[in-house]
Amino acid sequence: MTVLFLLPLLFLAVLSTLTSAAPDSDYHEGLVLQPLPQSSLLASFNFRSNTSQESFEQRHFRYFPRALGQILQHANTKELHLRFTTGRWDAESWGSRPWNGSKEGNTGVELWAWIDAPDDDGAFAKWITLTQSLSGLFCASMNFIDSTRTTRPIASFEPAAHHSSSQLHLLHGTLPGEVVCTENLTPFLKLLPCKGKAGVSSLFDGHKLFDASWQSMAVDVRPVCPESGECMVQIEQTVDMVLDIDRSKRPRDNPIPRPIPNEQLVCDTSKPYDADDTCYPLENTAEKGWSLQEIFGRTISGVCPLTEDENPGKETVCLRVPHERGVITSPGASETRNPDGLSRCFNLEPSSPFDLIIPEQEALTQVPLDEPALSAERTIVGHGQERGGMRIIFDNPSNSSSVDFIYFETLPWFLRPYVHTLQATIIGRDGIRRSVPVSQIVKETFYRPAIDRERGTQLELALFVPAASTVTLTYDFEKAVLRYTEYPPDANRGFNVAPAVIRLLGLRDQAQSYEYYSPVYIRTTSLLLPLPTPDFSMPYNVIILTSTVIALAFGSIFNLLVRRFVAADEAAALTAQTFKGKIFGKVVALRDRIKGKGSKVE
Amino acid sequence: MTTPAALPPLPFNPSRVRSYILRLPLFTRLVLLAIFAFWILELQKIWSVVQWGSLTPDEIGLGSMYRLNTYPFIHMGFFHTLLNILALTPLLERFEAEHGTLTSVALFIGPLSTLPAGLYLLVEKVILHRNTPVIGASVWAFLLLGSEAVRTFKSHPYFSIGSYKIPTWTSPLLACVFASVLIPNTSFLGHLCAVLVGYLLGLGYLKVFVPPEKILRWIEGKLNLLGRLPHYVSVDQKTYGRYGVLPTANPVGDRPTPLSYLGSTQLPTRNLRRNPHFLFIRLPYLLSFLCIVVGVIWLLLLPLNEYSRRTYISENALLPGQVHAYFSGSEQNIFRGYKKELEGLLIGGAGDNGGEDGVSGEVEVTPEASEKVQSILRAAGLKVATQNYEYTSAGITHQGQNTYAIINAPRGDATEAIVLVAAWKTADGELNTNGITLALTLARYFKRWSLWSKDIIFLITPDSKSGTQAWIDAYHDMHPPSVQPLPLKSGALQGALVVEYPFDHRFESLHIVYDGVNGQLPNLDLFNTAVSIAGGQMGIGAVLQEMWDHDDSYEARLETILRGMIKQGFGYATGAHSSFMPYHVDAITLQTKGEGWQDEMALGRTVESLCRSLNNLLEHLHQSFFFYLLMQSNRFVSIGTYLPSAMLIAGNFTIMAIALWMRTGYYAGSSPSTSASAPADEKKETAQKEKDASPAKTDASGVMERQLALPLTFVVGLHLLGLLPLYIFNNLSHQYFASAVYTCILADILLPLTLAALLTHHSPSTSTNAIPQHYLLIKSLSLLLLGLFLSTLATLNFSLSFMIGLLCAPLTFTNRTTSTSVLRHIFSTIGLVILNVLSPPVVLVGGCWWAGVSVESVLTLAAFGWDVWGVWTQVVVWCVWWPAWVIGCALLGSSVF
Repeated sequence: MTVLFLLPLLFLAVLSTLTSAAPDSDYHEGLVLQPLPQSSLLASFNFRSNTSQESFEQRHFRYFPRALGQILQHANTKELHLRFTTGRWDAESWGSRPWNGSKEGNTGVELWAWIDAPDDDGAFAKWITLTQSLSGLFCASMNFIDSTRTTRPIASFEPAAHHSSSQLHLLHGTLPGEVVCTENLTPFLKLLPCKGKAGVSSLFDGHKLFDASWQSMAVDVRPVCPESGECMVQIEQTVDMVLDIDRSKRPRDNPIPRPIPNEQLVCDTSKPYDADDTCYPLENTAEKGWSLQEIFGRTISGVCPLTEDENPGKETVCLRVPHERGVITSPGASETRNPDGLSRCFNLEPSSPFDLIIPEQEALTQVPLDEPALSAERTIVGHGQERGGMRIIFDNPSNSSSVDFIYFETLPWFLRPYVHTLQATIIGRDGIRRSVPVSQIVKETFYRPAIDRERGTQLELALFVPAASTVTLTYDFEKAVLRYTEYPPDANRGFNVAPAVIRLLGLRDQAQSYEYYSPVYIRTTSLLLPLPTPDFSMPYNVIILTSTVIALAFGSIFNLLVRRFVAADEAAALTAQTFKGKIFGKVVALRDRIKGKGSKVE
Repeated sequence: MTTPAALPPLPFNPSRVRSYILRLPLFTRLVLLAIFAFWILELQKIWSVVQWGSLTPDEIGLGSMYRLNTYPFIHMGFFHTLLNILALTPLLERFEAEHGTLTSVALFIGPLSTLPAGLYLLVEKVILHRNTPVIGASVWAFLLLGSEAVRTFKSHPYFSIGSYKIPTWTSPLLACVFASVLIPNTSFLGHLCAVLVGYLLGLGYLKVFVPPEKILRWIEGKLNLLGRLPHYVSVDQKTYGRYGVLPTANPVGDRPTPLSYLGSTQLPTRNLRRNPHFLFIRLPYLLSFLCIVVGVIWLLLLPLNEYSRRTYISENALLPGQVHAYFSGSEQNIFRGYKKELEGLLIGGAGDNGGEDGVSGEVEVTPEASEKVQSILRAAGLKVATQNYEYTSAGITHQGQNTYAIINAPRGDATEAIVLVAAWKTADGELNTNGITLALTLARYFKRWSLWSKDIIFLITPDSKSGTQAWIDAYHDMHPPSVQPLPLKSGALQGALVVEYPFDHRFESLHIVYDGVNGQLPNLDLFNTAVSIAGGQMGIGAVLQEMWDHDDSYEARLETILRGMIKQGFGYATGAHSSFMPYHVDAITLQTKGEGWQDEMALGRTVESLCRSLNNLLEHLHQSFFFYLLMQSNRFVSIGTYLPSAMLIAGNFTIMAIALWMRTGYYAGSSPSTSASAPADEKKETAQKEKDASPAKTDASGVMERQLALPLTFVVGLHLLGLLPLYIFNNLSHQYFASAVYTCILADILLPLTLAALLTHHSPSTSTNAIPQHYLLIKSLSLLLLGLFLSTLATLNFSLSFMIGLLCAPLTFTNRTTSTSVLRHIFSTIGLVILNVLSPPVVLVGGCWWAGVSVESVLTLAAFGWDVWGVWTQVVVWCVWWPAWVIGCALLGSSVF
């Protein structure tokens, strides 16, 4: 167990040391760095401040950002969680997620909040107020979270323990297509007391942050009531990112990974064909060397002086490398080694810049990575314009324990699932595929069908995966045909389907021994759904328009050509002839009638 | 009140058009002839007629005043000519009929050309100071429209749309505006001048130019023009001309007696309608034949510059060749290292003897080599997975293991992906060591870049036939049980590139293969991007359809089109890329060809640049064409231009089927004695005679009940019978294919004859006189189905429809002959022999003999295509072509008995 949840434990441990003293309002920040396999580096920034409930309500903001506080009060929001995420966490290489996945969101923007309102409609109105305001605050398109993208999950999220009101409504919205970039980082930094000028937040550089392989920014506001003392409103901002060390070390003025010169190639000289012009490359097994300056482009400029500790800068920066790894720090910083032998923290000098240099070194021991308790993959299968299928694969790597979890997905209304086609297959380690009734896997289902153009589908399943097996869930869906005006400008790209959220259950017992109960979340990747798309291209529009106009023009010209208008005086001869013809015609008609009668008589 | 020999009311009466054309008066004919002659004259390139005769404001001087008269006769290209002729003919014909030939000559040679021209010159040169040359008879069309409009206005001042009243005299102006908006390069000003002069003419201000009637009469009398010139409209015939009659929908033929006021010009129509033999028996053959001829000629016209277009990049996001490709330098050392490593692991030693010798030998891809590929990819930091697959087709088992690796887009979310494929065996069966090595080197190189917005999947397959198919099927979860599912996946595939470099020396050009399964093609933008990057950025020539030396001549273009059509028509997979197409993933193969100075790095840079272009895509490739025929790397025709060709050929069957259907319902029995070539008067007489003689058989032949049971059973049964050979040829083991084909040929000789014998000897007992109708109905239904299938198929697989249509063309003209002459047997036998030569199995054997491949290999490939690729060419052959052919043969064979 100690190994299994080491990384989250460390975060929790850091947190618990930091939160031991709880004055009226306080502020803490921290940075944890951990090298990951494949020359990656995980950097977890955490900024947290508490404000007493009373001063929050009286709008005495000290560390709590005023802009956000006013929005929350205006929208009656008691708890808020906002996530900006790009990229995907490579659980296969990097192990389990930082903060157990509780501080990350869907690709794009994810937002959920508990709103105090008397009824559902009131809550939704406040929700719209909230999204509109946050949209302005964070320069993100959160105003597009309308009723079709809003859901009310039942079991996937739980509010913090200490809410005073009982009329709380949980609303959840996602924007999977939103691109997170610097315009979202700047407002995020402005919420910090030191605004990225001092402390660990001074490392934030848009160029580096958004060059990360995976990054997630989170804002959490929740009420916290310690056993002793008054309730507080806590705001926690985290930034987690996985940087590619090679890529980040490239200078900004020459970022192109050109082929390296011949003489710098590392070749396997044991190969018989090895020559000046032939090289079988050897992959570098040594741990990459790096420094903060190289990775982030700058150093930590001192300590944020607002940190209300008896010793500001104490254990602000932590590094998870084995103790035998050599680390060079800026003068003035002191090092505290953890007794587990795998991590160390640094006490920063308040006013001098801090840098951390790790030279390249052959790796002897590795920091063990925790294996995620469950891995999930969701893909769209089938092809064609009309139908498709969703396939979700849950893999439980553990050989002993089954995993219980809540699977939650929201589907846009134009993707119409057929829930009756929901099927489950279990594949054990022996590779034999067994179809099982869905009820055997799924313990509970909450399903809220979509209404066209009003709300999306909400599907929450409580299910479990037996030990050492893989469960595949499949269901079919139908693709709706949108109205002409409902297509976005890039209709042929496909439509984003928000990732599914998985909340693992059953880990509560292990986690409750700590002060903070931290649930484990996993999110799948988002999907691209190709819909039947009309041809919006110019030639076809022109063809349609032209055909209409030609039809009109042809009609009138044809009319003009075929119809003959004869003036009254011109038609004198004609009428005479017609008259004659008429008489003749009548005679003929008469004759035929007589004949016809005769034949009838016969 | 139906009358004897009643005619079915046709919605469109072709005879009326014919009579109209025959009736055209003299001057109109001359003008049309002149326009046509000038168009023919333009086809030569030595002397530019357009430059000589156009109304160019700056060119007008005393010596070039002739231009004021010549410009209406000269046109730009075929469509301009055709449209103007269509517009001008009715107007000019009416004018001439009203005013007489002499007046028309005087007016149109004189003021009606020069006045608009002068007006145009005045405005264009003096007021606007521009110099736009104008040509074309549209000036007369608009002039006459103008004058007509004024006359219409006098009798009928407004037409109303809703509550708006629009004066009728504005209609030519509207037409003028529409024309200038809709048709490119029309001179609005020129048309406007013409309309203005037309108004003047209509208002009578130009009467001064009309020669006095006295003089005209004098000339006419002196020269005896009326007697000498055919179709001459005399001065006396003018004024109202033929316009006493309003054309009505009520068929004239229904009247029991000819109406005296119709005038002599109506006679041909009447004769035609009175002559059902011509209308129902001769005309459909003529029309069908015409359809086929025009269809073929249409295809032959496509390579001309006028009907094809230069390719262009339609999707702006692609930006081909706009980035610098860095794949060079030390990457080449790594390439060599990887290559040596792989060559050491191959059995058969491609590395030992190298070059062309090495690749032709039997080289086995060992599991070690495959392991090495995986370890190289893994060392480069990619996620690697494998997939085993096994297919059995025609008794042959194809199995292998796909290896693939994914570069995750650095900031992406696995929503989109590009596939880069290298197969161990190329489409031609050569060992593709360089291609594999290049893919590995590129994987290592691409991994360093952070700019990928899409995942890049490197797929290494054992062969080009089945590997990609197994992979792409499993990617979409559509795989058969013998294929493993994929353990690793990415997002929606946006494009796929296949790299083939099967020799060791340097190459000269890139051969781009683009044909997909069942004739599906990748988006033209992908092909264009490849051509543009290879040619424009890298300086490597791009060729297609194995046309190694394409000199851009008509013949070379046509050959390229035909090669493309043959591949499309057969619908087999031409490379590893073909399997992607059914899943709407655009894909091409890049093959290195020739001996030149381009090395593997140049190919690598091309692939890099192509990947960068695909990486730019915001949307799935959709902007450009999916239906096209390429005639050169930078020239194509799109579906709108080429489709009529196959449609006309498919239409010929439908025309015949409809004619036969009507014939069985209205007109019993052919009367071969009636000669369609007889002169009009005679025809009239025979028609009269027929009419007189008809009352006896009227009730039987006028409206006849169709007995559909036998024909329907026959046709549907034969179409279902087609499933039998379809099943046999797709499930037989490959060693029996040759004997199966010869059995099939034999069966194809016997089956129609048996059917014919059954038809002739059995049916009479059931019903005596309906037998001829049965034959006609069988043929009608069969051709109806054929036309239906082929026209539908033309939109999906143009080439297949075209080829089957041509091979079936004789079926329109085969018939049961019942004449008693001795020649009947000889002719039917010859016909049967010819038809048997065109039977599906004989065509297959002949084609194989001509191409020099064995029948067995072709059928094995076809069965493989059916089982693995999902090719449905066989369905078309056995369930569309073969039944139609059997029916045609049986009908012809029945005349033997």
